[in-house]
Amino acid sequence: MTDNQEQLIKEAVEKALQGDMDAVNNIEDRVTRSKAKAALVKAKREAAKTSAEPSSKEKSEESGSESKPAPQSPNQQFAGIIASRFPKTVDEELSSETHIQLQSEKWLDIAQYLRDDPACLFDSLQCITGVDLGEDVGLEVRYNLHSMTHRHVIEIRIACAGKNPKIPSVEAVWRIGDWFERETYDMFGIEFQGHRDLRRILLPDDWEGWPLRKDYEVQETYHGIVVPKVKEGWE
Amino acid sequence: MGVVQGDQMVLNIGPQHPSTHGVLRLKVATDGEIVSDIVPVIGYLHRCFEKHCENSTYEQVIPFTDRCDYIASMNNNFGYVVAMEDLMEIKVPERVEYIRVIMAELNRIASHLLALGVYGLDVGAFTPFLYMFRDRERILDIFELTCGARLLYNYMWVGGVSHDLPVGFVETVYNFLDYFEPKVQEYNDILTYNKIFIERTADVGVLLPEVAISFGVSGPNLRGSGVKWDIRKEEPYSIYERFDFDVPIGQGLVGTTGDCWDRFHVRMLEMIESTKIIRQALKDIPTNGDVHQALPKKIRPPKGSIYRRTESPRGDLGYYIISDGSPQPYRLKMRSPAFTALSVLNEISRGWMLSDVIAVLGSLDIVLGEIDR
Amino acid sequence: MTVDQLIDWFPISATWPGLTFLLAVLICAVPVFLFIAVYALVVIYGELKISSFMQDKVGPMGQGVGLHAWRWGLLQPIADALKLILKEDIIPAAADKKLFILAPFIVFIGAFIAFSALPFSQTLIIADMNIGVFYILAVSSLGVIGLIMAGWSSNNKWSLYGAMRSAAQIISYEIPVALSIIAVIMLTSTMSMQGIIQYQSGLIWGFLPNWLIFNNPFTFVAFFIFFISGIAECNRTPFDIPEAESELVAGAFTEYSGMRYAFFFLSEYANMFVVAGVAATAFLGGWQSPIPGLFNSPAWGLWWFMSKTMFLIFVMIWFRWTFPRLRVDQLMSVCWKGFTPIALVNIFGVGIWYLTLG
Repeated sequence: MTDNQEQLIKEAVEKALQGDMDAVNNIEDRVTRSKAKAALVKAKREAAKTSAEPSSKEKSEESGSESKPAPQSPNQQFAGIIASRFPKTVDEELSSETHIQLQSEKWLDIAQYLRDDPACLFDSLQCITGVDLGEDVGLEVRYNLHSMTHRHVIEIRIACAGKNPKIPSVEAVWRIGDWFERETYDMFGIEFQGHRDLRRILLPDDWEGWPLRKDYEVQETYHGIVVPKVKEGWE
Repeated sequence: MGVVQGDQMVLNIGPQHPSTHGVLRLKVATDGEIVSDIVPVIGYLHRCFEKHCENSTYEQVIPFTDRCDYIASMNNNFGYVVAMEDLMEIKVPERVEYIRVIMAELNRIASHLLALGVYGLDVGAFTPFLYMFRDRERILDIFELTCGARLLYNYMWVGGVSHDLPVGFVETVYNFLDYFEPKVQEYNDILTYNKIFIERTADVGVLLPEVAISFGVSGPNLRGSGVKWDIRKEEPYSIYERFDFDVPIGQGLVGTTGDCWDRFHVRMLEMIESTKIIRQALKDIPTNGDVHQALPKKIRPPKGSIYRRTESPRGDLGYYIISDGSPQPYRLKMRSPAFTALSVLNEISRGWMLSDVIAVLGSLDIVLGEIDR
Repeated sequence: MTVDQLIDWFPISATWPGLTFLLAVLICAVPVFLFIAVYALVVIYGELKISSFMQDKVGPMGQGVGLHAWRWGLLQPIADALKLILKEDIIPAAADKKLFILAPFIVFIGAFIAFSALPFSQTLIIADMNIGVFYILAVSSLGVIGLIMAGWSSNNKWSLYGAMRSAAQIISYEIPVALSIIAVIMLTSTMSMQGIIQYQSGLIWGFLPNWLIFNNPFTFVAFFIFFISGIAECNRTPFDIPEAESELVAGAFTEYSGMRYAFFFLSEYANMFVVAGVAATAFLGGWQSPIPGLFNSPAWGLWWFMSKTMFLIFVMIWFRWTFPRLRVDQLMSVCWKGFTPIALVNIFGVGIWYLTLG
């Protein structure tokens, strides 16, 4: 390898580390380009090693409220935005850098805002996860939002305690909410208020109980078929 | 003369029907040949995946992920182990990363071959289907060589892979790529640019980008609508940032952007991109290294939760894993790309003809195992 | 051999003309039926093998025991036929029984009686009617009644869809078929099948056989319109919309099983033969040898007719394993906006050609 090439690779890698990948991609000679890429990977790995090591032990995220004054994660940033726009909706204590804990009351308005505000533009609802956090906490619904324009992601958690858990439906905001909410209803029995077609989706319509709740008991018979309880032989 | 009024006829496509790609039922309201409403009824293949996971250990979940999307099991394994490794902060050896990428991309080709071939069948072309199955067979042979299984691999483990590559693997894959790359032209000749095929698929079932995003449609279906979105590029996991490949998008070459033909063509182009990735990976793969080196003795992730997305052949495959520190997941939710893709069916094929519904359904490339879980 | 000759030969013809006619028809019909059965076996075998070669596989090869055990899977179609015969004949409880039972036979009869006007060679024709072509066109659309009966009586939505589609399709494609045949009749001034073939003897342009396909540009176009529309009338891919197995399960035949289903199958293949046979007769010189003056005996005539017909059937099979299926509205627009106007223009073209150059 000539000095000339080495120089070229070095410059390209430096540029790429600052975010300009074109510098590497524009190298014409194939061999040089692949060498530059290898050097870049090496450089990135070293950088990651030095930055990742000290923080690796402290990632216990459920206790994330005592977060360091690190650069704000999108979750914290948007928690702030939502709190200023809709006061008393964000539960600051339970929110952390990994998620935003919201009250359920104004959720539909917040969802609308998150989707339409030019700074947020969360146009994609990635996932709705229901979770049963045990008897003392109750059910919770977690929404993973994502913006196709700004390419940022947040996670919103809304608790819904009590015997008949209710949450405003966001089916009209994100169309996929329709099926995701039906699925969550199917598994947890959470009523999404305002959903236009809240039916079971995966289980048969006449199934009893909410299978993914922790206190779920399988029904004795289904249409006269005995549901096996003793799992001998097939477990 | 009075106006002739026809009643609507409700037609049940499925659960047993040649082109529902599994056990799906579509309740279709028709007026003559025109379809006015489609209600997909799903759940015929529901196997309580998420409930099972809560009662299994973390390593026992991997075979379940195989059975969700049985067409692209490697990619489903991949998504799960990537999420688990992020949660547990495991750094896997270089060689394992390369093996995983090669496997995932081979499986992507296999999955797309199935999707494209079956799509040909849906619009009535029988021969391309067999051409593509002939070539898919070779990929399955490679998988069989590697891990003994042809469909449900259970190959990727948290922290490694189950077996190291067999002797002669690299040459076998090179041989396959040399064989496969010219074949894509053959598929294009017999199906993609066939006049009748274009007539059937161009301008049919146009999925607008906004609609697609609102419905959470992802993967080739979203890219077919002209949105450049690929998790491998946007949120690179594993070692995908090292590879040089394009993200093909639909451009409406023969019709409107986002029609069935675009979705079909994007898959065709993606297979070529996958071969590029495999070639680069084969060139750079470390020749030795213990693939079991990073396997954790006990899989007990710390308390916490993670949502991780990967790019499966069908789109954004997400796993939401909540750990309570025990060897069993507290809650595991799979965000299935086919689920979101099916939800858009009514939106884009309402008002078209019965034959078009079949064409649109096929172009969305759904796998019922993943929808019903 | 024609029915008329047979009637003349019978000594009882004067005393019992009705009985004589019946006997003569039976003597003709039984061989034709056997011919269709054997031909169907051959073409099914051909379809299996041709499709296999097109699809990069070997097709039936005769592994296994019993009927399959002979070479190259030659007995495969017989095994298939045997299977269909032995299968249970299911009549759905909600079906209209009489129509359901009758339908396959009507479909078959439509294809079957068309054979009576096909000229297999100079002498081998059952009845050389003076309206032969017209007769074939008329009776071959009889099958559609059977298809509608099958679709209606099955009491199944898919069957009904298939029936409605096939009714629309077959009746529509009758028109370009008839119009392109009119171009032929204009030139030959006869509707007799033998007459049409006799017109095509000799040479044209000095080196080509005087087949109507080469006669002038308009008949050349007419041949393709006739042949493609004919494929549509047989419900073969890319026009297999009434069956459309990925959409309508099996269309009008969804509820049929066993021998009744086999009859639909048989009539499809018989229809293919009729279409190919008429195309060969009207445009490719029928039993005329491609080298005028040579190989022109009746035995050779049978050979030429069969080889031309079989080649066209091969083309149909080739189409089936190459093309996707059209949509029902596209099929209609091809017919009404494409073939029918072109066929009409063709008639004028042939007329003008005949008046100026003919």
